[in-house]
Parts: sequence; structure tokens; C-alpha cells
Amino acid sequence: MSIWTEALAIIPALLSGDSFNITEASRTGGAWVFGTVFTLVGGMIVLAIYRAIPWLDRHFEPTLMVYTYLGMAIIIFVEVFRRFVFSMQEPWSTTFPPVLFLVMTWFGCSWNIKLRTHLAFNEFRTAMPRPMQLACVTLDAVLWLIFCVIVVVTGSRIAANAAMNFQILEGTNNFLKWWFLITMPIAFVVMAARVFENLFEDWANYRSGDPIINQSVIGGDTG
Amino acid sequence: MTDATLITAISLGVTFLFMLGVPVFLIIGYWVIGTTFVLGQSLDNMGAELSNVFVKGFALLAMPLFILTGDLINRSGIARRLSDFAYSCLGFLRGGLAMAAIGACGLFAAISGSNAATTATIGSMLHPEMVNGGYDERFSAATAAAGGTVGIIIPPSIIFIVYGYLMGLSISDLFIAGILPGALMVFAMMLAAWIICSMNGWGILIPLRMGRILKTAFGAWLGFFAIGLVLYGIYTGKFSPTEAAAVTVGFCLIVGLICYPLNRIMHNHGSDTPVDQKTYRDMAVVEGFKLTEIPAITMRSAQITGILAPLIGISVVMQQNLSLLGAQEVIGNFVTGMGGYYAVLFTSMLIVFVSGMILESLPVTIILAPILAPIAATVGVDPVHFAVIFLVGASIGFITPPYGLNLYVASGVTGVPYFRLLRYIVPYLIALIGTWFLVAFVPALSLMLLPN
Repeated sequence: MSIWTEALAIIPALLSGDSFNITEASRTGGAWVFGTVFTLVGGMIVLAIYRAIPWLDRHFEPTLMVYTYLGMAIIIFVEVFRRFVFSMQEPWSTTFPPVLFLVMTWFGCSWNIKLRTHLAFNEFRTAMPRPMQLACVTLDAVLWLIFCVIVVVTGSRIAANAAMNFQILEGTNNFLKWWFLITMPIAFVVMAARVFENLFEDWANYRSGDPIINQSVIGGDTG
Repeated sequence: MTDATLITAISLGVTFLFMLGVPVFLIIGYWVIGTTFVLGQSLDNMGAELSNVFVKGFALLAMPLFILTGDLINRSGIARRLSDFAYSCLGFLRGGLAMAAIGACGLFAAISGSNAATTATIGSMLHPEMVNGGYDERFSAATAAAGGTVGIIIPPSIIFIVYGYLMGLSISDLFIAGILPGALMVFAMMLAAWIICSMNGWGILIPLRMGRILKTAFGAWLGFFAIGLVLYGIYTGKFSPTEAAAVTVGFCLIVGLICYPLNRIMHNHGSDTPVDQKTYRDMAVVEGFKLTEIPAITMRSAQITGILAPLIGISVVMQQNLSLLGAQEVIGNFVTGMGGYYAVLFTSMLIVFVSGMILESLPVTIILAPILAPIAATVGVDPVHFAVIFLVGASIGFITPPYGLNLYVASGVTGVPYFRLLRYIVPYLIALIGTWFLVAFVPALSLMLLPN
């Protein structure tokens, strides 16, 4: 099979909903072609949704981040209290918070792309002429997008594999692990949307003569 | 091309990207991708590890929780009370406010576990007061940056959690081992601040009054209680560090929510009222916060966690690739080739120091600790002692240019440009390096408080 046929074969596998078929299809080289198209088109679709519904643009990642964050804190706090006072503790209280942490981490990573607060050594970049600055922010976007494609493909393979093996979240009876593992590739599609958003903004700033690089403050704009 | 040439080219390539201002997460990510190809491995391992690090890392949860604690004590007004107390004790000395800022960093660090949160909180709170009090704004920003370094040495500490998680050491033991070196760092930086301020005549002196000290100590009682709660959990082993963090978060949430209506009922003076005009009744409760403010407070912590946690994930994969490339043997042979106990120790310290100048401390720890710690153990350095030496070095990396995270945070919260505050960081750097050597020479400083 050619790489294009392999890529197209993923669509019926996904539509079948059968985890074995999905896993087999995602192991081929065509998964990279499919993953690239999926990430880029998915990112553009998410961006279009953000543009159509500005509330989502402002609140989607923050809402997920805040409630998963508070969720893990409250679960652990309540379970420590129950252990001390009632000598009992839910078995999932040590396995569920980490998957919430996973969700929070990657959606938090996406939000920091929007805010441009990922740690970077910007001193030389800020001193560059405007065309060079534009080249640098475009380079950032390209590097982010390639990285997103890689994680979407490899992360989806891991989730599909977990689904095929019916992996259950430890301590629970019926929470499948892939429900949580799939959030990582989804977060990277959302990241792709944020990368496109920043890139379009940078090009618009370049054309309008506005500053391309602004000093961002960690914790300064928390949505 | 040989593998060694390829890896050198990849490393130089990502260094070039770093200088161009590409985010550190991507720098490490692309190094991992490049070396994965050189090793002839599948990228699937990276995808798996980026989720496994979190899904299998209950101990790592302490990191976001201690960051949240920092924001909660800041917003509830507990941090302000701790800094008032520090100023009451030290304001009679030349440079008292700068010393109080460092002392407040130490107290704040004893509840929170984040250097960035410590710098941001104390910097934004005391920088305007320091500038109004006649201090040079560059010195004030540098003080906040330097003070924040103790955020990860005085327990609880995010980086101790990561180190213990990686090296299989008791995180509680590491926390206890960090107490005295952290206190020593605070003292050394205060000394540096006093010398600089005395030379420049900076600061307005306030009289040392026992009444004021007692009143501010009373006002900070909730902060002391939170510190006691963390230390109790760690010392007795009643909670794991993650649970201690969650308990502290729960305590701060409850305190904040109770104090807010209580403050209104009691018609207390606001937080802007000078301490001298406040009564003991005013000081009994802190400002607190409303239930509706909790999402905004949590969001601030979540944003910082959203920067640090991905770095941890990708650094773990980088460390695995380094192991597969045999970096452990190469660095190990180099370090062991230096000679005995002190030669190994100082070579390790030099490697940590230089790495801290160009990398964020979390990657430095994740990448170098598994390489250097076993070598140090072979020449007889106690693993907990080495952890403290390593992490004090890593904390100094927060204020060493070109890549010093605290310098960026301090610059961000104070508005002083990065390059302008570098000159004033030097005295603190000297003080901290002196302390680092003392910690390395005297193992008892790290080990004497450990339970037998």
C-alpha cells in the first residue's frame, strides 16, 4: 500500500469505531500524512470556532485548567480528611488526580501559547529589525506546528492502543484510560489553533506597523 | 556522518534556536526528536512519555498544588502579613526593607514551593514600597529576583519533589535537609543587602519596637499556622508531600473564604492601612477572598503550571535519550577522572552552575541529577547531601544570566528592564555562591535535622 492509501485507510477505521482497526491503521506510515492534515485542518477549524464564538476563545482552556486543577486539589484534600477522620479512602483518589493533571498540563500549555508566556530567551530577538522578528515568530509557529503533528500522531497511537487493550484507570471499575489519554492529542490540535491565531496576529502587526514582540508577564493575564 | 557528529550538529542547531528566542520547551523537544532519529528509535516513545510522566506521577502533583498555595496565601493577605512581620523585625537596620523582602521570601517559601511565585509575589508587593523608600529600583528588582531563589530550597519545594521523584529519594527527607541551607541563603542575602544599602545609604529606618513586632507576629498567625501544617506533615510523615500540599491548599481556601465575610462583619481597616494604625482586632483575620475569586486565583497558578509541567514531561524524555546515547558514561568518566571526593563535588557543582546559566532549573535537574548523583555516591557523598548541593546550585541558576528565570519574572513584575538589573544581582550571587560552598563543605548543614 502507498502512504496515501494508508492515510486514507484511517478514515474508515475511525468510522468503524473499532479500536483494533484504529490501532492497526494508526501504526502505518500513512498515519503521519493523516495526522498532519488532521492537525492543520483541525487547528484551523478550532480557530474558526474561536472566531465565531469569542467566549470560547477566552474561556475554553481556562475553564478546563481551573476545574481540573481544583478537582485534583479537592479530591486529594477530601481523601486525606476521610483517611484521618473515617479511616477510609477511595482507591481512585491517587490515580484520578494525575489524569486531571495531564489534562491541565497540555491545555495549560496551549493557553500559554496564546499568551506567549512559554519560557524563552528573547533578548536578541527583541533587538532585531522587524523583518527578522517576523521571521523568528514565523519560525516559532512552524516549529510548534511540526511538534503538534508529532504529538497528535504518537499520542493518538498510545490512546488507541490503550483502547484496544481495554485498559481501565487503576482504582476504578469502568473508567477507560483512553478517555483521558486522548485529551493530549486533542490539546495539541487546540495548540495548533493557538499557533495559527498568533501567526495571523503577528503578520497583521507587521503589516500595520504595530510592535511584533511585546513583553509578556507570567501570571499577568490570566484570562 | 557519525552519530557523534550528528548529535553535535543537533545540539548546536537547537542552541542557535535558543539564541533566536524559540521557547525552551521546543528547544528540548527538537533535541529529543533529532536524537531519537539518530538512535534509530520510534517517536512513539516521546508521545507515550509525555502522558506517562503525569499519569503515573502522583508525587508530581505536589508541584501544581504548592504553586496554588502560593497564590492563595498571596490573595488571602497572609503573604502581606508575613512581610509586615519581617519588616517590623528588620526595619531598624539600614536596608531593612530589602532585608525584610528577603525574609518575607523565606517565610513565603515555607508555605509555597515555587521560586517564580515567590519572586512575583514579594516583588509586586514590596517593589513599590522599596522605590518610595529611597531604594534604587534596579536593586529592588534584583532583591526580589534573588530572594525568590530560596523558594525552591526552603521546604516545600517543587524541585525537591522532582529530584526525589527521579532519584527515588524520600521527598520528606529532602525537604527537611533543605531547611538549614535555605535559612543560610536567606541570611547571606540579607547580609549582602545590608552591606549594599549601608554603602549607598538606602532605606528609611523605623524604630525597633517590641509592640509592633508582637502585633505583626500576631497578624501573621495564619501564615505561621500554614508553615506549621506543612512542617508537621513532612516531619511526622502523616502526609505524603502531595497530600501536605493539598491540605495546605484546603487550609488556605477555607481561611480565605471564612476571613472575607468575617472581615466585613468586624468592619476592620483595609489592607492599605499602616500597621501602626491597626488594632489587634484588625490583625486577627486576613482580608480573604470571595468564592467567585477562586477561579481567577487558580488560573494564575494554572498558567505557571502550564509552563513548567510540559517542561518536566519533555525533559524526562530528553534524559532517557541522553542515557541511551551514553552521556552518563561520558560525563561520568569526565567527572570521576577529576579525582576524589572534593574534585568530583566541585566538578559537579561547576557543571550545574554552567548549565543553570543556559537552561531552566527543571531541565537541569532532570537531565543532570541522574548522571551526577550516582557518581557522587561512588566517592562517598551522601545522596541527600548531594541533592541539596545540586539543588542549591540549580536555585542559583534562577539568577544567572543569560537564562535566569527569576530575573525575567522580577523584570516582568517590576517593569525594570532585564539587562538593567543584572549589575545589582552580583552581590546576591556572590553571597549565594559562598553559601553554596559552605553547604558543600559542611554536610551537617543538610543532614543534621534528618530523623534517624
